[in-house]
Amino acid sequence: MDETLKTAPPEAVAPASIEIDHLDFFYGDHQALFDINLAMPAHKVTALIGPSGCGKSTLLRCLNRMNDLVPVARIGHGQVRIHGTDIYGPNVDPIELRKRVGMVFQKSNPFPKSIYENVIYGLRIQGRTKRSDLDEVVERSLRQAALWDEVKDRLHESGLGLSGGQQQRLCIARAIAVEPEIILMDEPCSALDPIATSKVEELIFELKKLYTIVIVTHNMQQAGRCSDLTAFFYLGKLIEMDRTEKLFTNPAEKQTEDYITGRFG
Amino acid sequence: MKNPNRFDRKRLRIDHFIKWFFGSNALLAIIVLALITLFLFREGAEFFPQNLQNLRNYRLAGLEYVGLMRDQIEAHTALNRSLQDLRLRQSNALLKAGKTPEQVTAALARFDAFAAAFDSSVDELRGVISELTDAVTEIKDKAKLREDALQQRKFLLTEGKRAEADAVPVAKIDFAAQLAPIKAAFPLYQKTSLVFRGKIETLLLQPPSLPVREFQPRFEQFQKAARAYLTTFPATERKLAEWNQFAPVPWHRAITSFLFGTEWITNSFWQDWYGVLPLLTGSVMVAVIALVLAVPMGVCAAIYVSELASPVEKQLIKPYIEFISAIPSVVIGFFGVAILGEKLRELTQWQALSWISGFPISERLNAFTAGCLLALMAVPTIFSLAEDAINSVPRAFKEASYALGATRLQTVFRVLVPASLSGIVSAVLLGFGRVIGETMVVLLCAGNRIAIPDFTQGVSSLFQPVHTMTGIVAQELGEVPNGTIHYRALFMVGLLLFFLALCINWLAQAVVRRYKISIG
Amino acid sequence: MQTQANPFQHRQSTVRFLESLASGTIRVGTYLVLLAAACIFLTIGYKGAQTVFTPHWPFVNTEFFTEKPSTLYVFEWEGKKVEMSDDRFRAFKAAHKVEDIPAETYAHSAGGILPCIVGTALLVLGSMTIALVLGVSSAIYLSEYSRDWWLLRLIRLAIMNLAGVPSIVFGLFGFALFVGYFKWNVSLMAGWFTLAFMVLPVVITSAEEALKAVPQGFREGSLALGATQWQTIRTNVLPYAIPGILTSSILGIARVAGETAPILFTAAYVVLDRYPWQVAKWTDFFFQPVQALPYHIYVVSSKIPQNEYTERMQYGTAFVFLALVMLISLGSVILRIRLRHKLKW
Ligand SMILES: Nc1ncnc2c1ncn2[C@@H]1O[C@H](COP(=O)(O)OP(=O)(O)OP(=O)(O)O)[C@@H](O)[C@H]1O
Ligand SMILES: [Mg+2]
Repeated sequence: MDETLKTAPPEAVAPASIEIDHLDFFYGDHQALFDINLAMPAHKVTALIGPSGCGKSTLLRCLNRMNDLVPVARIGHGQVRIHGTDIYGPNVDPIELRKRVGMVFQKSNPFPKSIYENVIYGLRIQGRTKRSDLDEVVERSLRQAALWDEVKDRLHESGLGLSGGQQQRLCIARAIAVEPEIILMDEPCSALDPIATSKVEELIFELKKLYTIVIVTHNMQQAGRCSDLTAFFYLGKLIEMDRTEKLFTNPAEKQTEDYITGRFG
Repeated sequence: MKNPNRFDRKRLRIDHFIKWFFGSNALLAIIVLALITLFLFREGAEFFPQNLQNLRNYRLAGLEYVGLMRDQIEAHTALNRSLQDLRLRQSNALLKAGKTPEQVTAALARFDAFAAAFDSSVDELRGVISELTDAVTEIKDKAKLREDALQQRKFLLTEGKRAEADAVPVAKIDFAAQLAPIKAAFPLYQKTSLVFRGKIETLLLQPPSLPVREFQPRFEQFQKAARAYLTTFPATERKLAEWNQFAPVPWHRAITSFLFGTEWITNSFWQDWYGVLPLLTGSVMVAVIALVLAVPMGVCAAIYVSELASPVEKQLIKPYIEFISAIPSVVIGFFGVAILGEKLRELTQWQALSWISGFPISERLNAFTAGCLLALMAVPTIFSLAEDAINSVPRAFKEASYALGATRLQTVFRVLVPASLSGIVSAVLLGFGRVIGETMVVLLCAGNRIAIPDFTQGVSSLFQPVHTMTGIVAQELGEVPNGTIHYRALFMVGLLLFFLALCINWLAQAVVRRYKISIG
Repeated sequence: MQTQANPFQHRQSTVRFLESLASGTIRVGTYLVLLAAACIFLTIGYKGAQTVFTPHWPFVNTEFFTEKPSTLYVFEWEGKKVEMSDDRFRAFKAAHKVEDIPAETYAHSAGGILPCIVGTALLVLGSMTIALVLGVSSAIYLSEYSRDWWLLRLIRLAIMNLAGVPSIVFGLFGFALFVGYFKWNVSLMAGWFTLAFMVLPVVITSAEEALKAVPQGFREGSLALGATQWQTIRTNVLPYAIPGILTSSILGIARVAGETAPILFTAAYVVLDRYPWQVAKWTDFFFQPVQALPYHIYVVSSKIPQNEYTERMQYGTAFVFLALVMLISLGSVILRIRLRHKLKW
């Protein structure tokens, strides 16, 4: 881990890529997020932890406006800025936003198409059809996702024929094929065995050189292993956010400590 | 409560009985299906022997023989008709160019003389042949009487009335002797036919020139056709000479003449044909028109409701389409008869469409009218099944697509539609099944002309009246006496329809089963 | 902050243009369907209402609902055009003591459609009763008793295929079996069974769905207390499934009432001079043919010419029939929605 990170306060580490400012969020009448303030620096991995139902996924889906698809969902108050632009502002097109903010889901969800088609899906929808370009992107993305060697001979077989871990890496490859700036991962390893998990974790470590990553996880070790910053949520509120090391070894809040040490009710 | 065991057993016995009662009811579906097959066969199967007899009599009574000659007359009539058509076109063109009717008659005088000569050239030949026709139909009627007597005898025998059965007179017919005078007329036929050909040849040597130049190619076409017509005569004569009254009719002709016969003619003085092809083409044509209209609409509506519509629209459109499916078919058919047919005809009279050949259409009720209405009936079926299929695509696919920056429609067409394709295809198939089995709309609106539509006409061939398998059964079954070949033929049509429906159903299920797995 | 260029601005591109174009097309396609159906509803509603309703008290054309169809006579009388149904024309002639009045006649264009309404009601009642008894007991077997074995799969296959059989084939079948083989002739009975077999798949499927919707816990609770299977079904399953069964079988009613082809040669006659209840013996009731609304519409729309006199009967009948069927399906939709709200286990 870099040296600067150990000493400097999080805000100073790098230019903030994502800034969340007094965000309230509602599902109908049910408030899921309360006054969240958070900054996530570029080229760092930020982990979101907290007990089930505390709003981690909700927050994550706010960052690429996936919540727009939920009819009852709405932002109450506050802003989410990415590179300084309020993504809920009037001139923002969620489609453009999502092209730059990729997402990997808890359950791997490759399309019922070939591996090749899965990877280039994002390019196809942008209208890129030049074969040589596409081939290049497929190889690059699969290599970055550490999947190339396993699938290079079966690119045109169905993506659903891969193992769970491979499928998840395929989804990561699919997300990075469009060269986003930010990748959101919602419990990417929860359905994977330890070996597949460690592969994905290695991958995350590699990817942060190129992308800003936000990851939701229930696995404390995982958060400790692969994130630079960690935010702890409880009942829709941000309890504490700090450098991962600090948060795990010396949390400021009692609730955080209880949760991390497993003494949580 | 002294003997709880016995009590229990009794209770069990009742339970057992009830279970068997329900179970036997459940078997009903199978039984009904079997009964349908059985009874359609029972009524219909006899058709084939009867049809074979029908075909044999056709040959024995010499109808086939004289039929060859009659075909020549018919071909002449067709040529004549094209001449008349040409006359009409010319006079229309001349009138349009500002000529008075007198001037038109004058300009067309030479053409008219030619046409009249062409028309009357056949008179003698026709006379000879019509006498032969009368003679053979007489033989055929005798054969028919004999057939009926035999039938009655058989019936009486099955009733056990032996004496009465024997009392039914069954005339013996010596077909060879009966046909002898007809065959003896062959030289006469040859002579008249030769004269006839001579007349046409001389006519064709000096065709009149047409006052309207643009029709010259058509006229030349006619001349070519007439010459081709003349060349058919030697072949026909050879056939006539070689024709054998007692050549056997193979048994499979009874089946092939039903399945592939191009004519469905009943109650004719000449010969009845039971070929299902015109009805099948009619049914398929109407169904295809309906599907071409209904599939895009149904799928559009399914996509719209499941992906694009606002919640309020969704709440309204779904029950509304369900309502459409509840409109009784006879009401839709009535709407076609009362309104749509006329409106469509008015539409084709519209100037802007006059460049389409065959427009404006002449028949109010035709395949297209029926197709439009059936489309409306098929839309709900396709809609609801396609919507189910789209909705059953896992949410994860949709989310993944959106998360990659896809727009709504990109998600629909690249993810949802491919993933639900099997469902949509089976929806379309079931829609096809529904449409091809629909009776009232086609009976009322398809025009009920039993003929294979002329597909060379381009767009306007869609606007020809047709008859359908369902329509013919509904129309004719009420009017035919039980047990006749016609009655049995209708049951065969029903049987064909039944198996067609089963096949379509099976295909739809197979599609779903085969491709469902791939979605995971 | 705001000086920075917005990287997520909406961008015009062919893709986005096509997107809006295609959305528009899809919307138009959908609304076209709705419009086409609206055309039917509106024309029949508008023209039919002129026959069915009257501008003065009692606002409903009572003659139309209380009489038999009859021939319309149109003639000149004392310089005025008079229209009369068959009976009245005869009475009129008798009253004025004239032998004959030259009149134009229009078949089926006067009188009302009472026998047709009665006939359709009878057909629906009888066939739905039969179909419900047979269908619900099949459904009980399928969902409560049976395990997955080959016969069950065969039964399901048969049900699915039966649903796809064209209605005219049911008509042929009914004609061959009931009319011909059982010698019931063209009669209510033959029509009932033909229609009942036709809706059987609908009833079985919906009844089974309703039974499946009853939570498994209800059954287990009862069985665990030592009840037999039948007791369980009777006390703990059927009562909760009945609303669902009835609701969705209304759909079957709409289908039975709406179909013409199956009764064409099994139950329906064009004209009958007696009402169904005017029978000599009570057994005759079951073996008499009836008039029916859909058949009447078929007859008046295809067998008589269209003109201002016949039009009234045509649209009037179509209106009444359409309204009836639509009310039935509306009932089914409303009941289903209410049921969904009420029955939440
Ligand atoms: N589509 C929705 N409609 C209504 N409420 C929702 C919806 N999605 C989530 N919620 C509610 O919002 C709250 C936060 O849910 P969220 O999915 O963000 O939790 P989470 O922290 O991701 O939990 P987990 O760790 O179990 O995934 C929960 O109370 C949940 O019930
Ligand atoms: Mg979550």
